[in-house]
Amino acid sequence: MITTIRISDRITAQGEEIAKEADGRVTIATGLHMLTGWPVTRLLKSAAAALALAMVTLAPQAQAQSLLNVSYDPTREFYRDYNAAFARHWESLGNSAPTIETSHGGSGSQARAVVDGLNAQVVTLALAADIDRVAEAGKLPEDWQAQLPHNSSPYTSTIVFLVRKGNPKELNDWGDLVEEGVQVITPNPKTSGGARWNYLAAWAWAEKNGQDPQEFVGKLYKNTPVLDNAARGSTTTFAQRGIGDVLLAWENEAYLALKELGEDQFDIVVPSVSVLAEPPVALVEGNIANDAQRELANEYLNYLYSPEAQALAFKHFYRAWDTSAAAPEDVERFPEVELVDIESFGGWKQVQDEHFGDGGIFDQIYVPQ
Amino acid sequence: MARPLIHRSPMPGLGLSAGITLTMLSLVVLLPIGALLLQGANFGLSNIWATVNRPRVWAALYLSFRLSLFAAIFNLVFGVLLAWVLVRYRFPGRRILDAAVDLPFALPTAVAGIALTALYAPNGVLGGFARDWLAPLGNLVFGPFGAQFTGKIAYTQLGIFIALVFVGLPFVTRTVQPVVEEIEREVEEASATLGASRAYTIRRVILPMLSPAALTGFALALARAVGEYGSVIFIAGNIPMLTEIAPLLIVIQLEEFNYDAAAAIGIAMLAISFAMLLAINLIQIWSRRRIGHV
Repeated sequence: MITTIRISDRITAQGEEIAKEADGRVTIATGLHMLTGWPVTRLLKSAAAALALAMVTLAPQAQAQSLLNVSYDPTREFYRDYNAAFARHWESLGNSAPTIETSHGGSGSQARAVVDGLNAQVVTLALAADIDRVAEAGKLPEDWQAQLPHNSSPYTSTIVFLVRKGNPKELNDWGDLVEEGVQVITPNPKTSGGARWNYLAAWAWAEKNGQDPQEFVGKLYKNTPVLDNAARGSTTTFAQRGIGDVLLAWENEAYLALKELGEDQFDIVVPSVSVLAEPPVALVEGNIANDAQRELANEYLNYLYSPEAQALAFKHFYRAWDTSAAAPEDVERFPEVELVDIESFGGWKQVQDEHFGDGGIFDQIYVPQ
Repeated sequence: MARPLIHRSPMPGLGLSAGITLTMLSLVVLLPIGALLLQGANFGLSNIWATVNRPRVWAALYLSFRLSLFAAIFNLVFGVLLAWVLVRYRFPGRRILDAAVDLPFALPTAVAGIALTALYAPNGVLGGFARDWLAPLGNLVFGPFGAQFTGKIAYTQLGIFIALVFVGLPFVTRTVQPVVEEIEREVEEASATLGASRAYTIRRVILPMLSPAALTGFALALARAVGEYGSVIFIAGNIPMLTEIAPLLIVIQLEEFNYDAAAAIGIAMLAISFAMLLAINLIQIWSRRRIGHV
């Protein structure tokens, strides 16, 4: 074996090792001489050792008590509270504290991340269509939406208008939004789940009021000066940058904007017709590592329907189902509104192809075909 | 006898270093581009053309490349000036300014985009100034000629241009700066003693020495601007046909799980970028021939 030894401070020599001395020095034969000195750790050896050490430290931690919930943009605040509540609940069942992580972003891109391999055990997205994409990739069963109550939607929401204080342009219903000189802020339905609900709500109003819906949404988007990528971006554009007269927003997002940015700046206007937005939740079968994790994930989803969690949803401005533990003022906040659900548009699959697909009705607003 | 791929060189370690270089280059650059081209090849050339040959895609490509070109030209002029000032003059705060040039490199592009939008939005400091002062002034002067300026910067093409200038500036300055440092003053003095005017010295002595580096910086700034997504997305209004950049169109296709169409637009951008960089390289070769190595 070739060994390197140190002969003096600066001089090293390499050669075939022929003997080990009792004091730890080694003797080598260089071809000319026999030399004895302290062996030097070879660079490669130490590099390999460092690499091995790094592998050990970076190796994935045990997965049993951890969970990744991939969610969409406006649920940040709700799931922050829910995760804490669920952790308490889980511990009260006699388990050790779980590690729950939540990732937020545009619903579509979150779904794509899961399809492309993000290791999420639970998805809680803005539309069933996005979870359908994950199902198409074979990560959960086709009939996932039948597994939990209320179409797997523990909370619902709708689309409302957020207008400047005092509603100076008198925007009271969808029909007012297509007037000349009104600027409407809504995200891009191609990239944002919430924006698709906005679009459909406008469509539903036009249908119910005897207008040509395609022409109506066309006019609506002609009044839109900025198309952000996601709901949060639009809220920022409207609230912080001062662009536009009305923001089409999730109801919970609108109340949150009021709470965070001051009630003296904005008003919420509830239109006569809106959509019943059902943001569903599902367990991603393909990403479950073991039974312990499945149990945790199942309980995580089931507990969403408990009175405590439903109360939390109400508190975060969602229209949930079970009012038994909710604070009355959280429930009474929501005005009655005629809500149209996705089935009346023919289901997500049809809506997606007809309206938001490549060259679909939304694209035709900008490029006549 | 087959020629070996790598000739033996008297310098030791060639095999090893060539191996490392090729492996790294393949992993980091060639493999992703290969994957993109493979995706495109599966899609088929006629399908790629059908995807790209639509008014909306053309509009986005035209917008992206046109504004990138403008931004790179702007950076070429002001980046060279900045490099010259930073090297040749001594003034208080010069070192801080010198360090600040790198900020667009260091800042996450999203942060840059949000900061620029906050500044240039109608209720921002600069955006408000533009709306309240520049716009009336501009319309006073140019109004009679039929030009209209609303004073909007953010959410227009002007906003995109500003974001692209921001991210591209360091490329030109940082490539030109060392060359300016290398220029010996004696050369300028010799030019002056031989009777050349200052303008003539700049045109025939300084600029030829700077131009290779400046062109390289220009190409880098251009390439960066074409691909820029993070900062532009906040300041562009993202309205189809008007302020929708090509990279956003790719993201939209991905959102629809339409990987083929995304790859098709990607390949179109790659082809145009490649043609532009090739043209810049040819200009460099031509200018080197004309004025020799400097």
